[in-house]
Amino acid sequence: MDTLKEILSSFESEYIENYKPTWLKVKIAHSADLLQVAKALKESGLKTISTVSATDFIEDNRIEMNYFFEDMLNRRNCWLKCDISRELENCKIDSITPLFKGASWHERETFSMFGVKFTGHDDLRPIIISQDYYGKNPFRKDFDWDTHEANTVENINLIADSFKREEAENEKNIDPNSSETVLNWGPTHPASGPIRLKVHCDGEDIIGIDPDIGFVWRALEHLVTKKDFVGAIVAVERLCFMDNINSMLSYAQAVEEIADVQITEFAKWMRVILGEVARISSHMMGMGGFYNAMGLHTVAMWNMDMREFFLDFLESYSGARIATASIEPGGVRYPLQKEMLVELQAALDKFDNTKEDIRAIFVKNPTMRLRASKLGFITEDEVHDYALCGVVARASGVKTDIRIDEPYAAYDKIKMDYVTQENGSSQDRLIQLFQEIEQSVDIIKQAKEHVEQKIQSKEFNPIKDHMVKVPKKLPKGEAISRVEWARGEVLMHLVTDEKAKSPYRLKMKAPSFNNTMMLNHLLKGKTLSDIPLVFGSLYICQGDLDR
Amino acid sequence: MQTLFNIVVFPGILYILAWTVLLFWFFRKFMAALHKRVGPSFNGPMGTYQTLFDLSKLLTKESITPKGVNPYLFSLMPLLALSIAILPTALIPWTPDITVAKSSYGLLGLVVLIGIEPFILFLTGFGSNNKYSFLGGIRILTQMISMETSFFLAALSPAILFSTLNLNSIIQQSSWLSFAILLPGFVLYFIALLGLLEQPPFNIPDAEQEIVYGFYTEYSGTNYFLLKVSEFSEFMAVFAGAVTLFLGGYKGLFFDGFSFLFAKMLIVAMIMMAIRASTPRITMKQMLMFSWKYLVPLSLVNIAWIMIAKILFFGGM
Repeated sequence: MDTLKEILSSFESEYIENYKPTWLKVKIAHSADLLQVAKALKESGLKTISTVSATDFIEDNRIEMNYFFEDMLNRRNCWLKCDISRELENCKIDSITPLFKGASWHERETFSMFGVKFTGHDDLRPIIISQDYYGKNPFRKDFDWDTHEANTVENINLIADSFKREEAENEKNIDPNSSETVLNWGPTHPASGPIRLKVHCDGEDIIGIDPDIGFVWRALEHLVTKKDFVGAIVAVERLCFMDNINSMLSYAQAVEEIADVQITEFAKWMRVILGEVARISSHMMGMGGFYNAMGLHTVAMWNMDMREFFLDFLESYSGARIATASIEPGGVRYPLQKEMLVELQAALDKFDNTKEDIRAIFVKNPTMRLRASKLGFITEDEVHDYALCGVVARASGVKTDIRIDEPYAAYDKIKMDYVTQENGSSQDRLIQLFQEIEQSVDIIKQAKEHVEQKIQSKEFNPIKDHMVKVPKKLPKGEAISRVEWARGEVLMHLVTDEKAKSPYRLKMKAPSFNNTMMLNHLLKGKTLSDIPLVFGSLYICQGDLDR
Repeated sequence: MQTLFNIVVFPGILYILAWTVLLFWFFRKFMAALHKRVGPSFNGPMGTYQTLFDLSKLLTKESITPKGVNPYLFSLMPLLALSIAILPTALIPWTPDITVAKSSYGLLGLVVLIGIEPFILFLTGFGSNNKYSFLGGIRILTQMISMETSFFLAALSPAILFSTLNLNSIIQQSSWLSFAILLPGFVLYFIALLGLLEQPPFNIPDAEQEIVYGFYTEYSGTNYFLLKVSEFSEFMAVFAGAVTLFLGGYKGLFFDGFSFLFAKMLIVAMIMMAIRASTPRITMKQMLMFSWKYLVPLSLVNIAWIMIAKILFFGGM
C-alpha cells in the first residue's frame, strides 16, 4: 500500500486517502495524467481493471470518471477518480484498453451511456444499447426517457432498418466464391439465451466471433435512481435471478456505509446463510447449463430436483422462491422462525444424499472429459489481463475470493479456504462449480450451527434482531462495496446527493460482461461444436451481462 | 384381403402410428424416470393422452414453407422419408407366419433401405435454404459414410454365420450358442445404430445447441410430423433388425411370438435411452476418429472372428 501511495504522490492529485483496509482512494487533478498513472499502477502490480464507471454531475458541469484497479492476489486496490468536461465535444479521456485488455467493453459501455470518448480505443462502437439510443447517452441526467419512450414505433423501425442494413452489408463484404458465411448464434437459439453471437465461419471452422449484447437491457442502473433506498433492492436483485441475494447484499452494504449504520451480528450470520443458499442454487443451474450445452439434460434435471429443496428454504423465509427481496439496508428483511431451519436441514440432507451420484456420473464423466479437458483454456495471465473473477478465475488457479480477501457479513468468522483448479480448461470450470457447492454447503453448516447455538444461549433474538433502522434520507456521500457473487466479483459504486431519498448513481459491475469479452479470444480457430461448450463453461447469465 | 390387412393394420400404417405413439410415450416416461422428472399426470391415466395431444397438435399446426425454396421438393421430402422408413417393416418376420414380403434376400433389403434414409434427410437439409439446415445436411452425410461401414459389416456377421440372407431362416437357426458368437457383432451393430439414428453421443447432425436441430429447422406442422413419424419408423426398422439378426427375433422362452420380439425391441430402446441420459454429445472430429480408428477395424476383426467361429462350431457349413 505504501509503495502505491508513493507512486501516486508523484502525480498531482486532489487527495490520496485510505479507504477500507484494502483500498486507496485517489483523485488525480488532470485527466491527461491518467495513462501515466495507469501505467505506473500496472507496473507496481495492479494488473486488473475491475470496471470503468462515470458519474454525471450536471450541476457542476463535469463528469467524474472512476477507475477501479485491483491486485487480485495481494489485497491492495486503487480507486482512481478524475474529472472531465461534460460538453460532448470535450468529453474525452485517454483509453486504457491498450494497457488493460479488460477495460475494452467497459469503456465502450461508458461511451454508449455517457458519451465519453476514449481516445486510443481501437473498437469504440456502442454496446448494450439498441440502435435507437445511439448517440443519445441515456444515462446522462438530462436524457429525456419519456420523450424517447413515446416514439416506440419509430424506434422499432430504426432497429429493424439497421438489422436489414447489416444483412445487406454482410452480403457485400463476403467473397461470393468462398464458403465463408456469418451465422447468427442467437438471440433465439436453443442454447444461447438472449445474446447474439455473430459467428464468422468457413464451414464448421470459426474465423471470429463478435458478440452483440443488450437484448435484456433493462437500464437497472437508471431504474434504481427512480426508487427509494429500500425499494431499489427489487431492481438490484434483478441483476440475475439465479443468485439474487448476494447482489442485494452488495447494495445494502453500500447504503449502510453511507448511512453509517452497524447491523446486528445476527443479521450478518443470516446474510451468510442466505447468500450461500443463493450461491448453491445458482451453481446448480450453472452445472446444468454446462451439460445442456453438450446436449445432456439429466444434470440440469437432477440439480433442479435438489435445488427445489434450497428454494423451499427461501420460500419459507421470504415467501418467494426466486425474487426474494430478503436483504435490505439495515439487515435482513424477515425474522427467523424455527421451522425455517428445519427446511434448510432438509435441503442439506438432500444434497448429502445425492452428491456422490452426481460426482460419479457427471463430474467424472469420460465423454465430458474427452471434450472439455482440451478446450477453452484460460491462463493465469489472461485472468489478470481480462479482469476475470470468481469461478472462472479460480478454475485457472488464481487464488481470489472476496469472502476471504475482503471479508464482509460474518465471513471473517467462518473457516474456509480458496478452492482452485489448476489448468483452467472448460472441464476445470465444471469441477470448480461442483466443489464450490460443496464448500458452500460446508459454510451453511457452520453458520447454521453457530446461529442455533446463539439462539439457544439467548444471545441472538431471531425475532427482533434482524433489522436496525436506516434513515430514509441519506447524507451526501459515496461508497463502493464488493461481494463474492455466484459468478464472481460484484462491485457496486453508490453515489448519493445531500438529503437524498434515492440513489444518485449506482454502478453495478458484474462478471458475465468480462466473460463474454473472452469468447472471441477463446473460440477463434475452433469449430462450431465448441461454441456452446465454451459458452456454457463460462457461466454467462444475460441478466448481469446487460443489466 | 390379407394384403390389405397387412398394409393398413399390421405391420402397416396403423401399426406404425401406434408404435410411434407408444414409443414416444415410452421414451418420455423412461427419460422422465432417469431425469427425476414428474411430467404431466392429468391427461388421461398416467398422462398417456399427452403424446396423442402433441401429435394431433402437430398435425393441425400451420405448415410453413420458407421463402426461396422449391415448395414441391420441400414438402415431398418428408413423404419420401416416411415411405422409405416404412418399407423395411415388410421384410421383417414379425411372427413365424407374418412376413409381408417373403424373400431370400431380406437382410440385403433391410440393410439397403435403412442405409438410404440418411440421403433423404440430407436432401431435406439441402432443400431448406437455411445455413443451419445445410450444415446439418453435410453433417448427416459425413456421419453416414463413417457409421454405415461398420453397420453393414456388423449386419453381415449373421449372414456369414448362417450362410443365408433370409431373415426368417436366420431366426430359425439362431440359438444360445449363435447368440454368444454374435455378441461382439451385436455391440458393434448397436454402436453403429446410435450413429445412424443420430442418438447421443452421436446426435451431431441435429445438435440443437450447435446448429438448431439441423435439417429439422425449417420444418413445421404436418411436414414436421411426417419427419418425426419417419424417425420413429426408422427406430422400429433398426431395432427390429437388431433383434432379428442378433437376438433371435420372435423366438421366446416357452413359446414363439410377436410379444417376445416386441419386448426385445423395447430392451434395445431402453439401453439406447440410458446412454442418452448419461452421455453428452461428442464433436464431428471425435466421431470420425472413433469410427475410422476403432469401429471399422473392430468390425473387420469381428468378421474374421465369425469366420473362425463358423469353422470351429458349425463345421464350416
